[in-house]
Amino acid sequence: MFAQSSKSQESYDVVVIGSGAGGGTAVHVLTAKGIRCALLEAGPMLDVAMEFKEHQWPHQVDHRGAEEGGAFYFGQGKPFGYFNTTSGGWQLEGEPYTVGEGSQFLWFRSRILGGRTNHYGRMSFRFSDYDFQPYSRDGLGWDWPVTYEDVAPYYGKAEAFIGVTGSKEGLRSAPDGVFEDPPPPKVHELLIQKACRKLGIPCIPNRRAVLTKPRRGRPACHYCGQCGRGCVTASNYSSSQVQVFPAMQTGKLTVFDLAMAREITTDGSGKATGVIYIDKRTRQERWLRARVVILAASACESARLLLNSKTREFPNGVANGSGLVGRYLMDTVGFSLSGYIPALEGMPHYDTDGYGGAHLYMPWWLWDEHHKLDFPRGYHIEIGGGYGMPMVGSFHAAAREHGYGAAMKRRIRQEYGCRVGFAGRGEMIPNQNSYCEIDPQAVDQWGIPVLRFHFQWSDHEWKQARHMEKAFTEIIETMGGKVTGLSAAQRESGGISVPGSIIHEVGTVRMSAHPRTGVLNGYCQAHEVKNLFVMDGGCFVSNPDKNPTLTINALAWRGCDYLAEEMRKGNV
Amino acid sequence: MSDALDVTRRHAIGSLAAGLAAAGLFDLEAEQHVHAAAQQEKAKGAYQAKFFVPHQFDTLGRLAELIVPADEASGSARDAGAPEFIDLLCSQSARLGAIFTGGLAWLDAEMRRRHGKAFLQASAAQQTSLLDALVAAERAERVRRGETQAYERSPAYRAFRDYATARVSDLLPGVLFFDWARKLTVDAFYTSPLGVKDLDFRGNRAYARYEVPLEAVEYALARLPNLD
Repeated sequence: MFAQSSKSQESYDVVVIGSGAGGGTAVHVLTAKGIRCALLEAGPMLDVAMEFKEHQWPHQVDHRGAEEGGAFYFGQGKPFGYFNTTSGGWQLEGEPYTVGEGSQFLWFRSRILGGRTNHYGRMSFRFSDYDFQPYSRDGLGWDWPVTYEDVAPYYGKAEAFIGVTGSKEGLRSAPDGVFEDPPPPKVHELLIQKACRKLGIPCIPNRRAVLTKPRRGRPACHYCGQCGRGCVTASNYSSSQVQVFPAMQTGKLTVFDLAMAREITTDGSGKATGVIYIDKRTRQERWLRARVVILAASACESARLLLNSKTREFPNGVANGSGLVGRYLMDTVGFSLSGYIPALEGMPHYDTDGYGGAHLYMPWWLWDEHHKLDFPRGYHIEIGGGYGMPMVGSFHAAAREHGYGAAMKRRIRQEYGCRVGFAGRGEMIPNQNSYCEIDPQAVDQWGIPVLRFHFQWSDHEWKQARHMEKAFTEIIETMGGKVTGLSAAQRESGGISVPGSIIHEVGTVRMSAHPRTGVLNGYCQAHEVKNLFVMDGGCFVSNPDKNPTLTINALAWRGCDYLAEEMRKGNV
Repeated sequence: MSDALDVTRRHAIGSLAAGLAAAGLFDLEAEQHVHAAAQQEKAKGAYQAKFFVPHQFDTLGRLAELIVPADEASGSARDAGAPEFIDLLCSQSARLGAIFTGGLAWLDAEMRRRHGKAFLQASAAQQTSLLDALVAAERAERVRRGETQAYERSPAYRAFRDYATARVSDLLPGVLFFDWARKLTVDAFYTSPLGVKDLDFRGNRAYARYEVPLEAVEYALARLPNLD
């Protein structure tokens, strides 16, 4: 019935929806095996020269980064600042989402080839062995249908391909991988490391997807510290530059940009037949046929697509016999605190930009001491500090603190580079009150029903955030510093991150050993539709304190190896 | 083999750096020259305000000098182009424009009430005494709200302008305006080549290898409390 409204009926071996970490990995792995792929991206093709503002000084633009009319000052500037290459945001014009009463949720979407991988933090942590069996350990949540041993080889492939720095540490909470040499620690990080040693907290070289040696035509990092702006030399990982562009060169990949997927089509006998999308240029609906459909549109967008694909066979949405599509939405527990460190005052200045993030981090250290804690699971700690590039807003707080005039100017100079920041990134336990569903009342400008979010942190998360607060305070005070980042007055609003704001939303299309308890099997394949896969964070069963991207890369790679073999055998 | 790699790498970095330098991105000194030229042009009266009338523009210039004055290390926010920056943004936003025109008028009215002249015509001591009063009122308000630290992260503080609804001082309109003027002036200064140099920011450069100077490491480690 849809074919009639479609102008074109191209057919591919595999159609991949979404070009971020999951979709990028899928087209890279599949085209390398000679499989013909189509890739749909809801945003435009990435033009690096146009899009990436790497190396620009604020004074090279007349608004200095405050944007036209000083939008920044009214809280209406680009998320993460003018110079970052976000190409999207918390709200997209014409593509709304809603939030249920009593809930708070922020949904960050990028609309450009490569999606959020163009600007993400590049933290690349393997799950621990215990992260795949959380229920078996503490009776909360669910176990994954895959083990660390199943995924480890694919972590290795992903690390070796995208390039991840690190060091061999032998820590159970942070398994070692295939690592690039890490850059040396910065001074404030050495101070933090020393304080952590005293406190029994491991503080080790960071694991980020940045090359410190040239590889496959990608030059090594040049240490401008601006990964969030997009890297013109592709020295860090972005799916656009590292996977999709090379896959296009194989001749096996066709990219459809500005293509907004609307629904998955099926043949009435349990197989997917393709995808209907809206060409944003013409507002025409088109149908792409494919032998296999891979969703990698981001956890919530993939859930939305499945829920919006209702047929007689799948009245609750394709592959949703379990009713679990959209359920058990998780974000990362976030809490931040900063401190002022007098030991850094008067230090000879040097370039602290480094490779675009902290050079050290603290993995979870109490994995075998849960009996002493009042919350389950754990968190890792990310570090901030150094002499950052002066940007609009950099000195507002200092200026307010010091008034104005010569004294203010002197104090700003004195205090510059003396602050350190700590960001906890912890595991949330999936709960029934956190999910997304189709809003029965609203559609976006393409006529596609939109998502409505519901979200609640539980006591588990709140208590974890309090533990973070205590730990960060201890580190700051051990360094002889003073906490500056949180006052009692803001405890209520700032005591835990706003749900969604860490941009680690996962779990809406989860894996399971049995079709009753989840949507996908351990290869990201739908239990009910053998030629339908979900290869983004949607497949996550839990959301350990490891930033999700590397695991998305690894699971997508593993799923594609399986898929290619199933196609070869004629099973799919 | 490793030599060959090294050469390739040097070449890659070399061409990158050359490309960036050609684009003028990595040469702060060159930026300073460009900036100095802009200053000279400005001194000749070349800048035509897009939004403010001359009296307002000159008052902003004086405010910029008071907020970030010239000292032994660097020039003032006026030298760094703060009035031009504010003028540009106000010309693009009616909302921001209203904040500044209203605020500048308040400043003149308050100075006239105190000393019978506009802000610009008042003596330096009279000007700083008014700004001191604004800062004192701001601090009193902050204490009243229980925000003694880290208020910049607090949503309540972000909506600082709303403080006016719980007015405790007749100076609050001035406090609110001064916060705006100071924010934009400080931003204009520290994002300028002058400000970058004042802070001694050494980054936004390209290197083949990243190194942390031992001198800095030793300096800071020696100043840590004894942790052994």
